[in-house]
Amino acid sequence: MFDHGQPSYAEVNKDILSIMLETGPKYWMLLGTTMSVAGICFFMPWIYQLFVGVGAAGMNRNAVWGSYLSNFIFWIGLSHSGTLLSAVLHITNSPWRKAIYRSAEAMTLFSLMTAAMFVMVHLGRVWFVHWSFPIPNQMGLWPNFRSPLMFDVMAITTYLTASSIFIYMGSVPDFAAVRDASTGLRRRLYTIFSFGWRGTAKEWHTLGWAYTFFAVFVIPLAVSVHSIVSWDFALSIVPGLHHTIFAPYFVCGAIYSGTAGIVTVMYCLRKFLNLERYIGQVHLDSLGKLLITLSLIWSYINILELFSSWYGGTSFELEALRFRLTGFYAPLYWEMILFCAFVPLLILFKKIRWSWNKMLAISILINIGMLTERFIIVATSQPRKFLPDAFGFYFPSWIEISITIGSFAIFATLFLIFIKWVPAISLYEVKETLRPLRRDT
Amino acid sequence: MAIMGAFAYEEDFLAAAKNLKASGFDEISLLSPLPLEEAQKVLGLGKSPVRYFSLAGAIIGAISGFAMAVATALVFILPTGGRAIIAIPPYLIITYEMTILMGVLFTLLGFHFVSGLPAWHDKPYLSSASIDRFVVVVENAAAEQVARAEAIIRDAGAEEIRHVEEDR
Repeated sequence: MFDHGQPSYAEVNKDILSIMLETGPKYWMLLGTTMSVAGICFFMPWIYQLFVGVGAAGMNRNAVWGSYLSNFIFWIGLSHSGTLLSAVLHITNSPWRKAIYRSAEAMTLFSLMTAAMFVMVHLGRVWFVHWSFPIPNQMGLWPNFRSPLMFDVMAITTYLTASSIFIYMGSVPDFAAVRDASTGLRRRLYTIFSFGWRGTAKEWHTLGWAYTFFAVFVIPLAVSVHSIVSWDFALSIVPGLHHTIFAPYFVCGAIYSGTAGIVTVMYCLRKFLNLERYIGQVHLDSLGKLLITLSLIWSYINILELFSSWYGGTSFELEALRFRLTGFYAPLYWEMILFCAFVPLLILFKKIRWSWNKMLAISILINIGMLTERFIIVATSQPRKFLPDAFGFYFPSWIEISITIGSFAIFATLFLIFIKWVPAISLYEVKETLRPLRRDT
Repeated sequence: MAIMGAFAYEEDFLAAAKNLKASGFDEISLLSPLPLEEAQKVLGLGKSPVRYFSLAGAIIGAISGFAMAVATALVFILPTGGRAIIAIPPYLIITYEMTILMGVLFTLLGFHFVSGLPAWHDKPYLSSASIDRFVVVVENAAAEQVARAEAIIRDAGAEEIRHVEEDR
């Protein structure tokens, strides 16, 4: 499990808490950069759009959904592996989960927050967002729960709440460790955060039970969330979107891009926070095997999607298929196939699977492919529905491109803040993987 | 009066806990930097009542989720192509999500209720228990029991023993 020798319990605390308690100028520079990029690329164009209206984006009469929606799906997808993987590996008692799950769950939380930002941006008149909740409003409107968009509101709110509770409750014993290692205001804050945790057998016992129940609830929830996101599309009758395969397709794609995201995040944690001792070869190997499995499932579902469109044989579906494979956005489609179906096959080679740099490159390519996939779903379907008089064209405006870039900066900012407030690796779960200290050893 | 004994080795800590239990000390707390199944067994902790909270939450969530979907449809009637106003299949999705949401929230409530947390008032504690020490705490020990408890803890190999006045 440990590439550089087993640490002692005290070393685990020291190594991991020092990330939180010691902050150098490089950190502030990096945080300043990500915040500036988020401000300039995301918030300023958004404010501009709020003033001039959603016409500032490239969406038009025939393509009423654009990159905001594709980015929303991408970020929701990226959120999937963290909490889901953590919960599945907790239930199956997999030891390699313990060093990586905290940051993976944080990834879930911040991806969800970024996705929620895209909903706000897409809405246009964001000040009416409360109309989508079942609360009284000045128009006397109540939400229509027959709409898949309302399923989305319920699913994402639930997922955000459950993921926040899941990561917080798993961190409570570590907040107590931060409390004990600090003084002054930080100590007072972490006394509150840790609920006065002492680590009694009863507290551990209750947390263990509660945590298992959280995991049991979160697994079907995560599957439902991306199924519901897929139904935003599949419950329409638009050619290219109206597929029964969409729910498993989206869930698989979400876990796939999320797992690739975990590899990227783990690389950064390992490299920049000096966590080589805790995030080792076993984690990379396991994540690599998971990626190759998901890649094969994803490829299979893609073939099925093409087959069902062709086998259906309606002219509308065939036209949508033709436009996707050979139309304006065909290069993006084939780029997606290359990055998500063929490049990951390299992971079959142990030499590549065991190399952090190569796995980082592959994980980034997979997520570029997955971002493209979501864009293609939106950009090649609505502008190509039914009769030629309804045909149109969609290309994102500079506002949309800028907001897309800014979203990555928002995610990075949230993650950088997270590593200073929560131990990036679970102290007590890493200790569980160590051999207990005995008198005779 | 509480007596605390800190141990460097898990096996000594568990031996002390077992001996204290066998000697009739019932009010003991076992503090550790990681969850120890063996320590939970010593205290006889079986299935946690948290699971009843989870079940209750899930049931309440299911009922309230379905009721919410039906109620909103009835207060704002939106006829669409002759379709049912109370449409069961889509409402089951709302029911499903609310089942999970309330299940999670009630599990959280159950955790706090069963564990007794938050507990910010002072209780016998050693900060090394969050690092690498295993601590046995004999709580509410009567004056005549103190020496016996201390002897058991010392015999098991405690490296530090403290007496603490408890905050009641």
